[in-house]
Amino acid sequence: MRGALLVCKKEFMELSKDRKTMFFTFLMPLILYPLLFTMMGKLSQSDAASRKGKPSRVQVLDPGQVVAPLLRADAKAFEIVAAPPGDVKQAIRDQKLEMLLEVDAEAAAKLERQQTFGLKATYDKSDDSSKLALSRLKEVMTKQDKGWVQARLKALGASTDLAVPSRLETADAGDMGLFVGKLLGGILPYILMLIMFAGSMQHGIYATAGEKERGTLLSLLSTSLPRNQIIWGKLLYVFSIGLISALINLLSMGLSIGRMFTAEASHGAATAATGAQGMGSLAALANPLILGLTFLLMVPLGLLFANFIVMMGIQAKNTVEAGTAIMPGFMVVMVMAVFSMAPGIEKLAFLPYVPILNVSLAIRKLFSQQGNALEYAIAFVMTVGLAGTLTWLSTRLLNRESALFTV
Amino acid sequence: MIQLMDVHKTFTVKDKKTRMKKRIEAVKGLSLTVKPGEIYGLLGPNGAGKSTTLRMIAGLMQADLGRIEVCGIDNRVEPEKARGMVGYLSTDLNVYARFTPRELLRLFGEFQGVDAKVAERRGMHLLEKLQLLDFADVKMEGFSGGQKQKVSIARALLHDPKVVIFDEPTTGLDVLTAKTVLDLLRIMRSEGRSVIVSTHVMPMVDEICDRVGIIFDGALHGDAPPKQMLESWGVKTLDEVFFKLAAQSAVEV
Ligand SMILES: Nc1ncnc2c1ncn2[C@@H]1O[C@H](COP(=O)(O)OP(=O)(O)OP(=O)(O)O)[C@@H](O)[C@H]1O
Ligand SMILES: [Mg+2]
Repeated sequence: MRGALLVCKKEFMELSKDRKTMFFTFLMPLILYPLLFTMMGKLSQSDAASRKGKPSRVQVLDPGQVVAPLLRADAKAFEIVAAPPGDVKQAIRDQKLEMLLEVDAEAAAKLERQQTFGLKATYDKSDDSSKLALSRLKEVMTKQDKGWVQARLKALGASTDLAVPSRLETADAGDMGLFVGKLLGGILPYILMLIMFAGSMQHGIYATAGEKERGTLLSLLSTSLPRNQIIWGKLLYVFSIGLISALINLLSMGLSIGRMFTAEASHGAATAATGAQGMGSLAALANPLILGLTFLLMVPLGLLFANFIVMMGIQAKNTVEAGTAIMPGFMVVMVMAVFSMAPGIEKLAFLPYVPILNVSLAIRKLFSQQGNALEYAIAFVMTVGLAGTLTWLSTRLLNRESALFTV
Repeated sequence: MIQLMDVHKTFTVKDKKTRMKKRIEAVKGLSLTVKPGEIYGLLGPNGAGKSTTLRMIAGLMQADLGRIEVCGIDNRVEPEKARGMVGYLSTDLNVYARFTPRELLRLFGEFQGVDAKVAERRGMHLLEKLQLLDFADVKMEGFSGGQKQKVSIARALLHDPKVVIFDEPTTGLDVLTAKTVLDLLRIMRSEGRSVIVSTHVMPMVDEICDRVGIIFDGALHGDAPPKQMLESWGVKTLDEVFFKLAAQSAVEV
């Protein structure tokens, strides 16, 4: 094993001389995810806050002064503005104001006669703040209508419940944390698997076909190191790179998501109740056990990938050929990963027995807290078996000199 | 000591045009011996089988038939031990350019199981002889072909090999550097090592080789000291031996 470790050490030394590659492999994900998630969090927060905080600018045409006082009373939600110059619709599109409200001129009289009066709101459906103005208006009018109805009922001497035969109440059984977990569980295996494959692919090609191309492999083969150990050393290197990439990505992702939701929960007081409840499951998301189990599953998968990459890489004449030979493998992994994201896929009974796909399924279930010990075990054992077989096969295959001397 | 006994090597290649498998007999029943303290020159036209022969002695390839021993070790039975006895250099071999010569030599010392301090001292000594000591700590990425070749030579000799195999060692080197390499080979001889070199440079053969063998089409034609070789063929230069061999094989066909 000493020889394999020496070869692996040599590969890492070579890597360490290349600052740029080091940065993109190891440091980039550490910076990328926190940045991405904080930015996403900040953006959605500030956007919602700015829309909620500002009153909607509304031009009101209300000769009877029936609705205008209602809006004027709620200064936090509405700001009554003068008619803009030119076309009003264009002004709304230009976000000079949010809405135009035209109230029936006869409104007061109709109200008096217990008739229905009309209002016409002109808004921009494609603009969020304009939509907000409409929903604020609806809220105010619903409340006001209720008051008017009750007054009318009272005048008739009827019960105020007359116009309310039933009342629907809803309670949200879903849990924010679980929802995010499901979402994340769907894409995480995909991202992790691709990152692990892509990461080890670049370095794998460099260390195999690349060595052949650069003419350095011959010098390595001419030493007294046994052939097996040279192959194992390369395998160990490619495997380690894949695992390190996966680990860094997993940790960085887990930590930044955890942080983002902690920040969100401690934010708005109104959502404190649901926030605290959601936090329970979100904590599970950044739960070391779930992250650990996910990583454990990535270990044999990484060995499987490394074997495939080294096997293809060392038999290729040059790096271009190696890339061409390895790419189909990458495609298969990608297709499987995308396939595993499809909704309802977990209901297929044979799925836990399909290699690679079962790993992605197991991770997905871990994150949506439907973890199944048996399926996890099957995925793990199968991948370990497959990786072991491939290691044995590649050692035998690559020991042949035709593999090492394709000129 | 190098001993080859009736060695054969065949490659199978695919002809892209006819889509047929083609057998190339690169080496056909080659036998030769290189004694300690002797420089053996392997001559022959392109594709004659020189590199293949040297690769087999270095243990990079296995012979299909026959036996190869270095220092009495059969390189099929104990390949690692046999490779440990050999210092191998070839033109299609390169250095790890991301390292400095010092880093590279230290690394290969470890690969060959040489003590780190000993490897470093020996490596620096070799670089000094090759007039490259000033560049010992410079990244090899910017090195010229000749500079890289010098580092490769130091790498090949680092572990004090009893057998030295140099495949076209002076190709691409200027006359000064070439002379340095030849001087180094003379030192190797004086230290009692068995040296085998392949070359296309005839004057070099006259200058340093104790014996020459001419390979033509995978087989050895003559194996004698250079002077004797010329006499037996009745010619003045080794080049003429080539022409005669080529004419002969043309007649055979
Ligand atoms: N790995 C290989 N696969 C297939 N054929 C090979 C391989 N190595 C060598 N050959 C073939 O074996 C024959 C001998 O090649 P070799 O490299 O030994 O010649 P050489 O004497 O060193 O020639 P040169 O002077 O050009 O270096 C050639 O026909 C070559 O095409
Ligand atoms: Mg050659």
